[in-house]
Amino acid sequence: MKKRWLIGGLAGVFALAGLAFVQGGGGEGGEGAEGAVETGQPIAFPHNQHAGSEPGQNNMDCQFCHFSAERSVAAGIPSVASCWGCHVAIPGTNHPEEVAKIQGYLERDEPIPWVRIYKISDHAHFPHMRHVNAGLECQECHGEIQEMEVLTKPDEWWTPAKELFFGQDPVWGGDNMGWCVECHRRPDENGEQQASTDCAVCHY
Amino acid sequence: MTDGIKRRDFLKVLGVTGASATLTGCSEPERLLPYVVAPEEITPGVATWYTTVCGGCSAQCGMWVRTREGRAVKVEGNPNHPVSRGGLCSKGHATLQHLYNPDRFHGPMIREGDRLRQGTWDEAEQLLAAQITATGNVMFIGGRMGPSMSNLVDEFVAAVNGTRIEYDAVSDAPLREAARITYGATGLPSYDIANARLLLSFGNDFIETGSSPVAHNKGLAQMSAVDAAGSKGRFVYLGPRLSTTGLNADEWYPIRPGSEAAVALGMAAVIADDAGAAGPYADVLRAYSPAVAAQAAGVSEDSIRELAERFASESPTLAMGPGVGGHHRNATAANIAVMILNHVAGNVGRTVHYDAAVSAATGAYAEMESAVSAMAAGQVGVAIVHGANPAYSMPAASGFVEAFSQAAFKVSFASAMDETAALADLILPDRHFLEAWGDSMPRSDVVALQQPVMQPVPHFDSKSAGDVLLATSVHLGNDFGATTFYDFMRNGHMEMHDDSVGDFETSWRLALRTGAVEHDMGTTAAPSQLQAPDVALSFDAPALDLGGDLTLLVHPSPRFGGGEFSNSPWLQELPDPVSKITWHSWLEMNGTTAEERGIREGDIVRVTSPHGEVEVPVWIYPGIREDAVALAMGGGHTNMGRWANGSGVNALALLPSESEQPSGAMLTLATSVTVTPTGERRRIATIEGSSDQHDRPIAPAVALADLGHVEEAEHDEGHAEFQELQGVGGFVPVPSEGGAATAFPLEGSRHGPYAESHDLPRWAMAIDLDKCTGCSACVTACQAENNVPWVGEEQVMMGRDMNWVRIERYIEHMDATQAGDLDVRMLPMICQHCANAPCEPVCPVFATYHTPEGVNAQIYNRCVGTRYCANNCPYKVRVFNWYRYMDDVPEPMNWQWNPDVTIRTNGVMEKCSFCMQRIRDVENRAALEDGRAINDGEIVPACEQSCPAEAIVFGNIRDENSRVSQVVSSERTYRVLDELLNTQPAVHYLRKVTFHEIASGGHD
Repeated sequence: MKKRWLIGGLAGVFALAGLAFVQGGGGEGGEGAEGAVETGQPIAFPHNQHAGSEPGQNNMDCQFCHFSAERSVAAGIPSVASCWGCHVAIPGTNHPEEVAKIQGYLERDEPIPWVRIYKISDHAHFPHMRHVNAGLECQECHGEIQEMEVLTKPDEWWTPAKELFFGQDPVWGGDNMGWCVECHRRPDENGEQQASTDCAVCHY
Repeated sequence: MTDGIKRRDFLKVLGVTGASATLTGCSEPERLLPYVVAPEEITPGVATWYTTVCGGCSAQCGMWVRTREGRAVKVEGNPNHPVSRGGLCSKGHATLQHLYNPDRFHGPMIREGDRLRQGTWDEAEQLLAAQITATGNVMFIGGRMGPSMSNLVDEFVAAVNGTRIEYDAVSDAPLREAARITYGATGLPSYDIANARLLLSFGNDFIETGSSPVAHNKGLAQMSAVDAAGSKGRFVYLGPRLSTTGLNADEWYPIRPGSEAAVALGMAAVIADDAGAAGPYADVLRAYSPAVAAQAAGVSEDSIRELAERFASESPTLAMGPGVGGHHRNATAANIAVMILNHVAGNVGRTVHYDAAVSAATGAYAEMESAVSAMAAGQVGVAIVHGANPAYSMPAASGFVEAFSQAAFKVSFASAMDETAALADLILPDRHFLEAWGDSMPRSDVVALQQPVMQPVPHFDSKSAGDVLLATSVHLGNDFGATTFYDFMRNGHMEMHDDSVGDFETSWRLALRTGAVEHDMGTTAAPSQLQAPDVALSFDAPALDLGGDLTLLVHPSPRFGGGEFSNSPWLQELPDPVSKITWHSWLEMNGTTAEERGIREGDIVRVTSPHGEVEVPVWIYPGIREDAVALAMGGGHTNMGRWANGSGVNALALLPSESEQPSGAMLTLATSVTVTPTGERRRIATIEGSSDQHDRPIAPAVALADLGHVEEAEHDEGHAEFQELQGVGGFVPVPSEGGAATAFPLEGSRHGPYAESHDLPRWAMAIDLDKCTGCSACVTACQAENNVPWVGEEQVMMGRDMNWVRIERYIEHMDATQAGDLDVRMLPMICQHCANAPCEPVCPVFATYHTPEGVNAQIYNRCVGTRYCANNCPYKVRVFNWYRYMDDVPEPMNWQWNPDVTIRTNGVMEKCSFCMQRIRDVENRAALEDGRAINDGEIVPACEQSCPAEAIVFGNIRDENSRVSQVVSSERTYRVLDELLNTQPAVHYLRKVTFHEIASGGHD
C-alpha cells in the first residue's frame, strides 16, 4: 500500500512539473522548419528573414503585410496572393520546399491555415489603429518579431516566477490585461495618464 | 484490507488523473485564415456599407446594409430614399434572419416519390424546361416583385403561352380598385400625412401595413408634433378595434365593423354645401345622412356631425379608408366613400394624390380563386409559385391544397420550406434579396435599385429566380436578350434612360449609391372630378356569415404580416405592439364581454365559425368593441421552419374563401363566431407588467392648452428643489465660468475615480413620446445590433425575456362603447444610465459602474451573476443570461452576429449600453482624422437610426449646441421616476401632448 502511495505521488509530481513546463512555454522549438511544424504552422514562415535588419534579411515593414493595422481594429494578415506577389519569382534559398507550398495553396484556392499566435479574449476589443496612430511600435506589444524565426504563443500567464526559474523576459502575455493597463497608466511628458483606463474603453 | 476501493485510494487516483489530464494540453488550435486574393473593398475590421432596397414587404423601403468581411451583419433605413426617408421597421430588420435562416434549402430539390432529393441547377432547369415542353399549360403565380422581374415573368409566360396570376396574401386591392373607379387612377393614392391638421383613419392601420408603413409612421409623427405656431395635428381613429396605429389616436370612434362607408358618407353629407360637390354620388350622399350613419355605426349622431364639421374646417385634412384588417364584402365601396369624403373636403391634390401611382401589394384573391378552379379541373399543367405561399395564406375553405395537387407538375421558388413548397415537385430556391439584383418602383417618379451586398450564403446553393427563368428559357429555345437577370435588368433600365440627363453608367452608379433616383415620368393629369362608378356598389354594412354573436376581426400581424415573416425568432419574441404577447396567438376580447361570459384572461377558448374552428387563449383588451373579437394572422404554420411551426393558430381557418367585389380582395371581415371556453387555461407569454401606471410619474402627459405654463399646472408636492431640473433639462445646475464647469465632482461623477475628466463628452438621450408610435422597430434594431439573444416561449413566461428595449404601453383612457378621447402612452424603456444609479453600488465586483462620459457600463467578464443590480434597478431594464442562449443559435444564423459586440455567456447581466461600440467606432474615426472633435449627430445608436418617427435623439449634453441639449430644454422634458427616486437618468423623455385636459399637474 505504501508503494502505491509512492507511485501515485511521484506520478502526480511529474505531472505537475510537466504542466508547469508546458505552461512555461515548452522548450525553445527546434531550428527552422522543424520549429514551425512543432507549433503547427502549415508553412515555416520566418519573420526574421522577411522583416529582420541583419545583412541578407529583407527589412520589410510590418505593415507591408499586416496592412490594416493603421486603419482597422484588426492588423490583418496577408492574403495568399500577397505572398505569391514576391514568391512567384523568389524560390528562397534556405527552405524552397516551404516556399513552394504557397503555390499549392494558391492553385487549390485554399487559404493558408495559419495557427493564431496573438489573441486577446473576445470580451475585450483592441483597436490596432488607435495604437499605431499613437506612435506605438509593433514590437512594443508583440516583441522583437524581426528577430524571431518561429513565433511561439506568448505566455498566457506570465508571473515573476517564470523570469526567475525559466529566464523568460516579460513579453506581451496573451490575455494579460495587466500588460495593457500598465502602459495606459504610464504618465506622459505632462505627467498625465497617457491613455484612458476606463473599463468601458475596451470592454463592451 | 477490505474489498472495494477505499475513499483515500479513490482520492489519490482522482488527483493523479486530474493532473495528467492537463498534460494533454489544448485541442485544435485557433486558426487565422487569410484571403486567397484579398478583395479591394474589404478591410478586415472595417465595415463596408451598401445601399439597397428592402425586399421584406411591398413597401420596398430604402435600406443601408452594414457588411463585415463580406457578411451582412446589420440592416438600417436609408435616409436618402425619397419615399421611406430613413428608418426601418421590425420586419425589415428581421429580413437579416431570413438571410441566414438554417431552414433555407441547400439546393434545388426534386421530388422522388414522397421525398425530396437535392439536385443540381442544370438538372433542375432542364427538368423544368422538359416539363413545360411536355405538359404545357403553364400558370405562374407570383407575389409582389420589382418591375424588371415582372417584365421578365411576363415575357417568360408569354413565350410558353401560359397565364400569370398576381397574388398577395396581404393586399390593398380594394384601395386600388376604389382609386380606379373614383378617379381613373392607376396604382394607389399617396398620402401626405405630415401636412394634415386632422387625420381620420377608418380602420387603416398605416403604421403596420399598406403602401409604406415607415413613411406613414414618420408622417404621423411629424403631423403630431406641436409646430411653431403652437398647433398640433389631430388623429381620429374610426374602427371596431384599436391596432398599433389606432393606439396613437387622440380620439376613438368605436364604430361597428362594416359601417365605415356610412360614417364617411354621413360626414360628407354634412360637408358638401350642395349635392353637386359629390358629382355622380350626389344621391348616395342624400341617402346617407348623419342619422343613418349613427344608426349603422353605433355612435351618436352628434359626434358624427361634429367630426364632419371639424374635418371641413381644420383644413387641410385627410381621411384614409379601411385597410386589410377591414376587408369585408363592401370594402371597395367603403374606400370609395372615404374618397368622396376627401373630395368634398377639398383634400385631393393637397394631402392625398392620385397621380403618383404608388405601387404596393394589390394582387387580387379572386384571381387565385379562378386559378384554384382551373387547377382542380385539371387545366393546369405546370404550376409555378414565386414569392407566395397560398397553401398557408389562402383559407382552407379555398381548396387550394387539393387543387394544387391536381396540377401535373408543381414548382416553387421558395428559398425555405413553406406549406406550398412542401407540395411541390421541384423547388428552385430563390436568392434572398440581400444576395440578389432587382429593382423597385414604389411611386411613379421613384426608381430604386436592389443590389447584392454579399456573395450568396455558401450553405445554400440558391439561384436568382430571374437567372433560373432565363436559363430555362434557353433550354426552351427562347431568348430575351440576356443570359443573366442582371443584364436583363440593366438592358431594361438602359432603354428607359433619358440620355439628356447624362450617361447611363453614371446614373446607374449614382442610383446604386444613393438608393433611388427620382425622375420625371411625365405627370399624369391630376384628377379633379369624381367619376361615375362603372360597377354596382353597395355602401351598406355587409352581411356576415352567421357563426355566432361576436364579429371576428382578422388582421395582419404587425410582426408577421400575413405569415411570411413567422420563421424569425426575433419577430416571434418581439412583443406584439398592442398585446405585448410573444410566440403564441391570442384572441382579443373586451373585458366586459369576457366577464359576462365568465371568461378570464388565459382561458383557452374554441372559436367556431361556419368555416372552421381554432383553439386559442383569450387576452382581455379594452381596445375592441364588446361585440367583436380579434385574431391576428401569421400563426399556425405547419411547415415553415423551426420557429414558425407550432407557434399560434391560423386565423384564416375561420374565414370563408371568398373575394370582395369588385376588387377581388380576400375577405378578412366576413363572419361572426361563437366563443366557447374549453375548460383549459394557459399562461400568457407576455412581457407586460401592467397597462396601468398606478399613479406613478412614469409616462405623464401635458395638455396642448397647458403648454407654455407647465409649472403652473404642476402640483407642488415638495418638488421645489427639483424644479431647477426643468430649466436645464434635468441636471442640477453646475457652477461654471465661461462655459467650463468649476466645481467638481460633477453630478453623477461621484462614483468612480474619474472626477477630473471634465473635458469628455457626457452622453445623454432624449425620447419624444409625442412622436413615438409604439411600432417597436427600435426593439428589433437593438436586438440585431447588440447580439441580444432570444429565449423562447417558456423562458418568456418565466419573465426572462432578454430584450434591451421594451415599449411600455399605458392605457389612461379608452372607451369601447362611445366616441371620445383616447389616451394611450407609449414609452420605450431602456437602461436610463442613471447618474445616481441604484445598480452601481450593489455590484460586489464592480462589473457595473459609471464611466466619466456618463454611461452606465456593464463589463461582462467581471460579472459573476449576483443579480443584485437587476434587483435594485427601479426600471427593471437589466436582463440576465440564465443559460448560454447563444449555444442554441444554429449555423449560419450566427453569421449575423455583430463582431463589434461581445457575446455574453451564461451568468452574465446585460442591458442597453448606449451602443458603446458605435461610440467607440466614431471616437476611433475622429482620432484617426487628425484627432478632430466628434460632430453632433455622428454617433447614432441603433434605436435612433431605426426609428421611423425620429423620436430618439442621442448626443453630448455637455455641448449646449447639440441637438439633444436643445431638445431637453423643452418644457415637456421629464425623467421617469426621477422625482421619487433621484436616480438622475441620462435618458430624458418629452411628455406626450394631448388635446384633452390632464387632470392633475403633469402626472396623469
